[in-house]
Amino acid sequence: MLLGIDVGGTHTDAVIIDHKGVVATAKVETDHNDLIGSLDAVLERILSSHLTRPISKINLSTTLTTNAIVENELEEVGVLAVSGPGLAPYYFSSDLGHNFYLLAGSIDHRGTLQLKLDEFSANNAVADCQKKQLKVFAVVSKFSIRNPEIEQTLADLVTTQADFIAIGHRLSGRLNFPRRLATAYYNAAVWRHFNTFADAITQSLKKHNLNAPVNILKADGGTIDFKNSRNNPIQTILSGPAASVMGIIALSSITEDAIILDIGGTTTDIAIFANGAPLLEKEGVSFGGRATSVRAIDTHSIGIGGDSAITIGKNAKIMVGPKRLGPPLALGGSQATLIDACNVKKLCDLGNSKKSFAGLQILAEKNQMKVVELADRVLELTMKTIHKETNKLLEAINQRPVYTVEEVVHGQKIDPQKIYIMGGPAAILAQNLGQVFNLKTEVPENFAVANAIGAALTRTTMEIELFADTGKKVMLIPNLDIKQEVSSSYSLNQAKEDGVNALTQHLKENGHPEILNRDVSVVEAEAFNMVDDYAVGSKTIRVSCQIRPGLETNYLQGIK
Amino acid sequence: MKTSTHLGVIFFPAYDWAISPTHPEREERLLYTQDQLREEGVFDLPNITEYKPEIATYADIERTHFCFPGPQEVSTESHLVAAGGAIKAARLVMEKQVDKAFALVRPPGHHAMKVVHGNRGFCNINNEAILIEFIRENYGNKKIAIVDTDCHHGDGTQDIYWHDPNILFISLHQDGRTLYPGTGFSDELGGPTARGRTINIPLPPNTSDEGFLHVIDNLVQPILDDFKPDLIINSAGQDNHYGDPITNMNFSAQGYARLNEKLNPDIAVLEGGYSIQGALPYVNLGIVLAMAGLDYSQVREPDYDPESLRQSPQITEYIKKLCAQTMQNYLKPPPLNVKPNQYDTRSKAVYYDTDGISDQQLEQIMVCTSCSGVRHLTSKTQRNSSCMGIEIPIDACQRCRNEGYRLLKEGRLNFKGKTIKFINRREQEYLTVNEFELTPMGRYYF
Repeated sequence: MLLGIDVGGTHTDAVIIDHKGVVATAKVETDHNDLIGSLDAVLERILSSHLTRPISKINLSTTLTTNAIVENELEEVGVLAVSGPGLAPYYFSSDLGHNFYLLAGSIDHRGTLQLKLDEFSANNAVADCQKKQLKVFAVVSKFSIRNPEIEQTLADLVTTQADFIAIGHRLSGRLNFPRRLATAYYNAAVWRHFNTFADAITQSLKKHNLNAPVNILKADGGTIDFKNSRNNPIQTILSGPAASVMGIIALSSITEDAIILDIGGTTTDIAIFANGAPLLEKEGVSFGGRATSVRAIDTHSIGIGGDSAITIGKNAKIMVGPKRLGPPLALGGSQATLIDACNVKKLCDLGNSKKSFAGLQILAEKNQMKVVELADRVLELTMKTIHKETNKLLEAINQRPVYTVEEVVHGQKIDPQKIYIMGGPAAILAQNLGQVFNLKTEVPENFAVANAIGAALTRTTMEIELFADTGKKVMLIPNLDIKQEVSSSYSLNQAKEDGVNALTQHLKENGHPEILNRDVSVVEAEAFNMVDDYAVGSKTIRVSCQIRPGLETNYLQGIK
Repeated sequence: MKTSTHLGVIFFPAYDWAISPTHPEREERLLYTQDQLREEGVFDLPNITEYKPEIATYADIERTHFCFPGPQEVSTESHLVAAGGAIKAARLVMEKQVDKAFALVRPPGHHAMKVVHGNRGFCNINNEAILIEFIRENYGNKKIAIVDTDCHHGDGTQDIYWHDPNILFISLHQDGRTLYPGTGFSDELGGPTARGRTINIPLPPNTSDEGFLHVIDNLVQPILDDFKPDLIINSAGQDNHYGDPITNMNFSAQGYARLNEKLNPDIAVLEGGYSIQGALPYVNLGIVLAMAGLDYSQVREPDYDPESLRQSPQITEYIKKLCAQTMQNYLKPPPLNVKPNQYDTRSKAVYYDTDGISDQQLEQIMVCTSCSGVRHLTSKTQRNSSCMGIEIPIDACQRCRNEGYRLLKEGRLNFKGKTIKFINRREQEYLTVNEFELTPMGRYYF
């Protein structure tokens, strides 16, 4: 049996699932100052139900890392960066704490060391960090994913005084130095906080006699095993929206291009599916004003939800959100909300409808409108806004640059066939949304603990980038720290095979023996002839493999 | 941080297109440029946005070129996408979605002339000219300056705008006595109706940053100040670089970035440049940052050594004189021996080096005193027996407009060749008259 837990912003949900479906659910309020307390409480509640078999796997989604960054609970990090020539350093060195050391040295795009690391300055920087008693470090060089030697040297220099070192090329195999730098910085900055929490989780699970393997949800709609999450806490950021997207997959059968709307109290989150799979951010997620290389489901949040306040500004301009001023009038709130408008329109009958009606009436009369007219306009505006923002996101996805003639001329466009709607007001707004989009809609049942269901069923994901240069006779998989000599005849097919094997091997060694080669998709594979003096010589090979976000198919049948 | 200029970059490396596997124009050409731009994270900078190219249509080509037998025979999908990238750059700038745009696209285009039978100098269709005609078709006639900083003379662009006084074409390049295509000398100054609107600056081999920037400061800038274009377009070839394998100049990434900053073009379109590992990643990064108004001072090639690239005093002296003389050519071009309101004829032999086509052209321009003049040419190759092109310019007077239609009618009746291409830029009418329509039977119906 699977246990899924979602420590969300408002509630902490838990669900237990076996092959026949949901066995038990539990919900408690999240106490932001005591996430472990919330976890304990939800475990206590859910484990009180009678379980016929032991829990075999625990998946946990938590806002811990997200909160730590948002609330700036970040440890001081010694950042050692080697950028070499290119973009002036002040474009990427800001917002990385107070201990940023830029050191001389340079690696070029082929991974050739053009200038050795300035070890004298590096030693001074390390000594300075010691003086400041810094214990966590981020070491990042430009093009380290083509040649990790400078990062390795830097890591060796700090290793005796470090509790933790975030090394750029281990975090992402993708090109983007400023993102790797920010990712490494945040990873180091939240490391201790996350590990303290992880220790508490271990205690809590022990207390409840749970000894199944634990996985932590990531932003890309997958999981990472507990042990590895301790060194990659940044991967656990923004796992909440991902859990909800995975929840909707669990509760529906999405096979087509589709739009997913998760309508909450304050916001509506939009995600886009292509052929039944969620689309990921092209480069990585941004937060706190910084772009990172953390892979994430591409979700777009807009400030309209069920509890969004209705306000009327100058020239009778109606606004819904982005403010949320407490619950709807019908539930004892003080300000008319979208839900109150739905009550007026009899789309729902939540709480005390009379209060909704009376509240909207006052607002309408102030602006020489009829109450139903106001409710109509509020709904129309809500629909229009969601529709417009969704189309904007779709347009941006369809306009993503591509780099071959084939893709420009014959590339597929995303063309949604259906909208899946979840969240509190989902059923209330489904019909109107279907009309404005002119698409079929589906509201999956059981959405109250959808996030926890999503968490429970989510499988592991992982991406690796393989880079080979047959001129230099080298093959690298940066985030697995693999560097191998290859022959000058190393081919694209061998590279694909090596990439797939390395990925499954890594997962096998890290708690996922169930992952087979066939679960791995090769998403990019390119080989270019490198011509020197007009003769075909060596090849540059780039392969990208991943386990796509997916669910435990064995358990899905029971859920549906 | 200065972020006032919003730059759109249309990056299209055409990873599935090459002239041949070892040709300089091959799949790999912009690979390292992309690696560098991605690793630097330039597309995450708040004022730089990457865009997808459009796909140019045959109509876009046919309002610009006389293609024989037609655009589908002389271009491939890759050419349509590269030209579409240039069109996207134009659209973004004209509709003010960005302040400036850089079409970092291949295949290149500046050797493609008015008449197109195939590929010459790695080019089939002229991306900049297609961009300009797209602008003039959709946003009205404009005064536009093209500054071609490719190492090779932009003979295609020169040919297209030879008779157009609204388009100023300035080309800086390695002296034609030492490099393909062997043209672009100081005395090539434009046709009788556009005298002084073509300016060539043939630079000696081994010209370095100092020489190029001298030309920009002391010749190009004053000419632009005088011409007052609505738009400046840079044909941004990168083969003046000291590392380029097929040229002999000593320009650097810093030099290219500074040139771009000084020139301040609204749109740049990539042309040549074949030092794909050692130069292009740095030159392109420099140009992107300079166009976006960002700090490019830290951009340099790993092997950059300004001392070893310094130009000789003789070169400096030569360039100073060249600039002074060229300035005079712009201000007071030596007059041509032509009669007003009569046709002036020039004959040309054009060789398509890539496709091995030899073209014999006879071109007539009406030396009109009130417009650019109707253009009428015949072209003969081993592939396409005999073809005719008639163009009524965008600023045509009524007389030249009527003359264009008279030529078309006469061609239909009497032309013994294969195809007539008719371009009326004034009223936006574009026609192709094919062989069968020229037979006696066909003539019957017109």
